[in-house]
Amino acid sequence: MSRFQPALVATAILAAATAARPGPAAELDAIRQRGELVWAADQEGGGPHVFPDPADGGRIIGFEVEFAELLAAELGVKPRFQQGQWDRLPLLLDQVADCVINGLELTPERQRDYRCSRPYFGYALQMVGRRGAPPAALADLAEPGPHGPWRIGVLTGSAAEIEMQARAARAAAAIEVIGYDGTLDSLEQVQAGVLDAAVLDDCIFAFYADRFAALRAVDRPFAGGLYTVLTSRRTPQLAAAVDEAIGRLIADGRLKRLYDRWELAGRQQMLMLRDTAEIPAARQRTLGELVRQTLPLLASSAGMTILLSCASFPLAIAIGLAVAIGRLHGPAWLRPPLTGYVEVLRGTPLMLQLYAIFFLLPKIGLALPALAAAILGLALNYSAYESEIYRAGLKAVPLGQFEAALSLGLTKWQALRHVLVPQAVRIVMPPVTSDFIALFKDTSVCSAITVIELTKRYSVLALSTGRIVELAVVTALLYLCMSWPLSLLSRWFESRLDRPTGAMP
Amino acid sequence: MIEVESLTKHRGAKTVLDRVSLRGAEGGVTALVGPSGGGKSTLLRCLNGLESFEAGTIDIAGHRLVAGPHGGLPLDHLRRDVGMVFQQFNLFPHLSVIDNVTLAPRAVLKLPAEEARSRAVGLLDRVGLASFAAARPGTLSGGQQQRVAIARALAMRPRVMLFDEPTSALDPSMTAEVLDVIVDLARAGQTMVVVTHDHSFAKRAATWVVELAAGRVVRQGTADELLHERRGSGGQEAAIA
Repeated sequence: MSRFQPALVATAILAAATAARPGPAAELDAIRQRGELVWAADQEGGGPHVFPDPADGGRIIGFEVEFAELLAAELGVKPRFQQGQWDRLPLLLDQVADCVINGLELTPERQRDYRCSRPYFGYALQMVGRRGAPPAALADLAEPGPHGPWRIGVLTGSAAEIEMQARAARAAAAIEVIGYDGTLDSLEQVQAGVLDAAVLDDCIFAFYADRFAALRAVDRPFAGGLYTVLTSRRTPQLAAAVDEAIGRLIADGRLKRLYDRWELAGRQQMLMLRDTAEIPAARQRTLGELVRQTLPLLASSAGMTILLSCASFPLAIAIGLAVAIGRLHGPAWLRPPLTGYVEVLRGTPLMLQLYAIFFLLPKIGLALPALAAAILGLALNYSAYESEIYRAGLKAVPLGQFEAALSLGLTKWQALRHVLVPQAVRIVMPPVTSDFIALFKDTSVCSAITVIELTKRYSVLALSTGRIVELAVVTALLYLCMSWPLSLLSRWFESRLDRPTGAMP
Repeated sequence: MIEVESLTKHRGAKTVLDRVSLRGAEGGVTALVGPSGGGKSTLLRCLNGLESFEAGTIDIAGHRLVAGPHGGLPLDHLRRDVGMVFQQFNLFPHLSVIDNVTLAPRAVLKLPAEEARSRAVGLLDRVGLASFAAARPGTLSGGQQQRVAIARALAMRPRVMLFDEPTSALDPSMTAEVLDVIVDLARAGQTMVVVTHDHSFAKRAATWVVELAAGRVVRQGTADELLHERRGSGGQEAAIA
């Protein structure tokens, strides 16, 4: 259950290891020999870029799919699609992909860390709100909305996030920016009334506007930029070939015709792409600067990790204990539903449960803030595990204890409260403590519903700064500072239980 | 005080109690004797509703138990008046000695903490364990634990006390300290039913002896009528006359 944080750290270490030798990203000759250009994108990112064909879910379509086909053909090879999570696509360059083609905006940081091709598409940002609800214009965001700060959803790691974070920094009280892993998630949340507005690339809203009939474009598009094909710095020949290929696709009109087919205003695109100015690369920060700038953010996200764990686990124990007692001592009609509760929650992924609470409950009018949804989701999921532990613990208390309590005139519930449960709690202390450590690490899943805890903060910072390894070390140290005391606590519990305290022979 | 009428209990196809009838007078000590598996402990556990039965009735301490799963009444009310001491003591290991004794008076009778405590101290003094009030049960010897268990049951001031082989789990060296406590109780007029293999104890304390075998009452009478020692005195190998 705790695979998320180690997986990310492992990715970082792997990236560091592969940096020393020629990575899987192939240079042009190797690609031609192989006959395939591996391009990475996230089909969850949605249309019109790259998305599953509604008529055939196993096939992906989108304007970038066709662009990749044109590009590969120009290099004399076939394209092969590689799926990845959008905000981590650049990491794949050192792993399995030759290039990334997925609406990646041209930024000074990317110029510094990767090789960015000449732009192949121009976008603008569009704010989207509910029909008839504020905000009515971008200017409204300067002052707080009717219910406090405007809640604005963006795609994590996107130019929209950077732009809205910058606006939030200028008007701190007025805007709260919330990052999502999928583009459509934020639109869903606006429609459900959880968010006041979303900000995304104009072509995405144009593509999905019909599906979200209750939503409308607020104000004109603003703060545009350009998409680039990302390649590794270690494959300069590939980068040059990509640049030349894009130049040919622009010059001979094939790119314009592609965009027109997708109703992406081919002529305007060509006017934008014809002469694009160079964007200078950002300066590399020193290690000291890096730590100084990122540590406060990482530390505050560690606080979120602690908050999530400490708020959800007592709840999980309370629910779990109640379920265990209900299954062992409750009325017969209650037992099958409680068994079902445990099996469903143990048998489905935590991520799915968080999605259900955060994205589905608003559809029936039960919108929970992300933090509350995260705490509830963790508590419910872990309550299933805790209930099994407590069930075993209650069964481990000798029957004679129950009979002795009953023969003193205690009711069943009094016997549970005063005699059985206190003993079961002692018996299950070691497994419960180790579950707490597991939950502590599982909090990283909550980033899927916009709660930014330590792992997510690391991921965002590592990608925006390009300092994957250094930040992984800092993050791992922060985790250790938190989990080490927990391990000590659990060992202390175990040593306490080794002492004989029972009257039973 | 105690009246058992045609009590019958089955366990699967086996009849473990077969039309058992017996009487126990107020202030009397009834000893249940007989071979292992004869139904003594099962009969005792029926008396406070730990076991249900299929036919017959039990009148005890002013309560009537009838056949069926719940004996026809809220059992916790009956058990306030009928205390029980187990072979294996069953002290609550997570509570101190004094808390073992005060738990039921506080939780069931809702006695104020001070009153429950002074009652418990008096009882621990009576069983000779006043100085162990703060100890954990696990640190006590078997004989001491059983005396705490007796004090715990007495704290509810039950009208009837049930003892289920109270010394069988003890080293011979510890049985005397427990039996002395029970004999003192008997002399003080506590109504009780005792399952025992110890005929010398039965002779010493019992006002009425009931011998059970294969689920039936084989005979009953006073200790003098029923019991005589076969070899020497005080042995546990005594036979029924």
